[in-house]
Amino acid sequence: MREVIARYGTALFGLAVILVFIVFAPNFASLGNILNVLKDTSFLAILALGFALAFTVAELDLSIADVASLAAVVCGWLVQLHAPPFLAVMAALAVAGGMGVINGIGVTWLRVPSLIMTLGTAAIARGLGFMITQGVAFVGRWPVGFTSIARGNVLGVPNLVLWMAGAALSAWVLLSWTRLGAHMVATGEADEAARLAGIPTRRMKRIGLLLAGLCAGLMAVLLAANLSSAAPNMAGDYLLYAIAAVLLGMTMFQPGKPNVPGTIYAALVLKALGNGLVLLGAAYYVQDIVLGMIIIASVAFSASTMKKAAFKV
Amino acid sequence: MNWLRGLVMTATALVALSTSARAFEVGIIGFQFSSETHARAANAAAEAAKAKGWTVTLLNSEGSLPKHVEQFETLISKHVDAIIIAMGKPVEAEAEFKEAREKGIPVITIASGSSPYALFDIQSNEYKVGAEAALNLLGQMGYSGNLVTARFDLNVATRIRGKILDAALSENQAVKEVGKFSMARTQSWRDDVRSGMQALLLQNQGKINGIWASFDGQAYIIDDLLQSQGVKKGQIALVSADGGKETYARIADPNSTLLATVAVPFEEMGRKAVDAVQTIVVEKKPKSTVTPGPYLFTDAVLVDAHNVQNFLK
Repeated sequence: MREVIARYGTALFGLAVILVFIVFAPNFASLGNILNVLKDTSFLAILALGFALAFTVAELDLSIADVASLAAVVCGWLVQLHAPPFLAVMAALAVAGGMGVINGIGVTWLRVPSLIMTLGTAAIARGLGFMITQGVAFVGRWPVGFTSIARGNVLGVPNLVLWMAGAALSAWVLLSWTRLGAHMVATGEADEAARLAGIPTRRMKRIGLLLAGLCAGLMAVLLAANLSSAAPNMAGDYLLYAIAAVLLGMTMFQPGKPNVPGTIYAALVLKALGNGLVLLGAAYYVQDIVLGMIIIASVAFSASTMKKAAFKV
Repeated sequence: MNWLRGLVMTATALVALSTSARAFEVGIIGFQFSSETHARAANAAAEAAKAKGWTVTLLNSEGSLPKHVEQFETLISKHVDAIIIAMGKPVEAEAEFKEAREKGIPVITIASGSSPYALFDIQSNEYKVGAEAALNLLGQMGYSGNLVTARFDLNVATRIRGKILDAALSENQAVKEVGKFSMARTQSWRDDVRSGMQALLLQNQGKINGIWASFDGQAYIIDDLLQSQGVKKGQIALVSADGGKETYARIADPNSTLLATVAVPFEEMGRKAVDAVQTIVVEKKPKSTVTPGPYLFTDAVLVDAHNVQNFLK
């Protein structure tokens, strides 16, 4: 029983909250609302996956949200200039990946702690975003060829959900089924031991931070396509929630380790919480308070039965 | 048998309660409550709606476009009877406006710009507001001298005011704009304005005759900066627009450098939005009885030393 609660306690708590919403929040369980929640979750989930991948190699990437904003701005800028959507998307991914590479180089070659390095690149990304836009968002009725990346659907399933599923599956396969993933996990769990075992740990860290950047880039493209706009700092709000999703995810399924199922589930629960509270008619200030309390309660519920603390960094 | 009768009566009462008509429900979203004018409009609308006995869901998008879109979608899922949005984004959130229209949920916006899918936008004639503020400032400067401006192009109202100022400047060549600060919509906008304007004031020290602020929130920060530099009322003409208790207090304060504002009746706009919902949605009168076009204009008033006492009451 303790094992079940340790492994699934937070997940069960989240499920309980969702059940409460299903019963008491009008239209929470309607198909339209469920799809909305899933679509809204996709942005957070993809960004959180990026944070998780960096965290897997024991590095913190606090630049993901600002890098995503910059990538969105670059993408939007090109769309606004009538560039082909493919070019705009590739440019966004290149910018975001490039920032990830810079983070990796800074951490492994310059030996700057990732907390500091990514705070620095976050500020740089933010400045670049404002420099490109001059503070004014790129907005317009953008071509369907671009916006359909996010707004379209395949056989009734929203593209955003498919992108989230694809990203989650890719990350899970990488970490669970590939040698590279195993090396990344080993690097994160025991850097020195992994290095002595012949794993190129510095390269693993660079890869982890690169993947974090690419996730930010993907999220940026989807966000810009969905909103048909790109503004500096448009992804800023997602950083704390992405970190929360990863940390919450670490309290379930594979307690103590950043894991893909936990991250995705936690992102879903966080978004469902916000959605359910609005449907219940809770005022905005109540939502923030309740969200914080539920996050604390759900982690405390499982942490109280865990032998090992989930948050040793 | 008494207990059985009591049980039946209770059950009947419960059924009657559950099937009784639910209260009229309105969703109100303010884009960024940290900007006082958004909060004033949204809170006034909420108050007016509650006074009518309506159920109100009051939301704050915290300046985040993705959050704004999510909240909008959730209100649509909730099937509220009407939605009022203060300082919304009709272009970026066009898909949501369209969905609300398709689902038969009327949307009225405040100071947002027009949308083909909203009933109308309630706003002051910002062209007139801009002209009043610009001409008052130029008059205070004697139609000559050096001007520094604090702009905000991400909001339609302040953007229009800025364009009207530019038109006024083009016709009054003896006034030179020697410095310009463009505010971006960040969560730390106050700090951004402070540091940006501090730099401009330093750069143009001793040369500035007038300062134009696109809205009062910026003017407060500039006023504080000027006072800290020992500038006395009238030495540098500071004019802005929006209005509010704090603004009137500063205009009346002999120590403050703020000379005038153009008071936009945000509370009245919120109340008018609720009245319009009452007329069009509840009483089912045609929209043309409220306004025939995409705008419902409210009057803005120039407030300076001559009439500020009337506004302090």
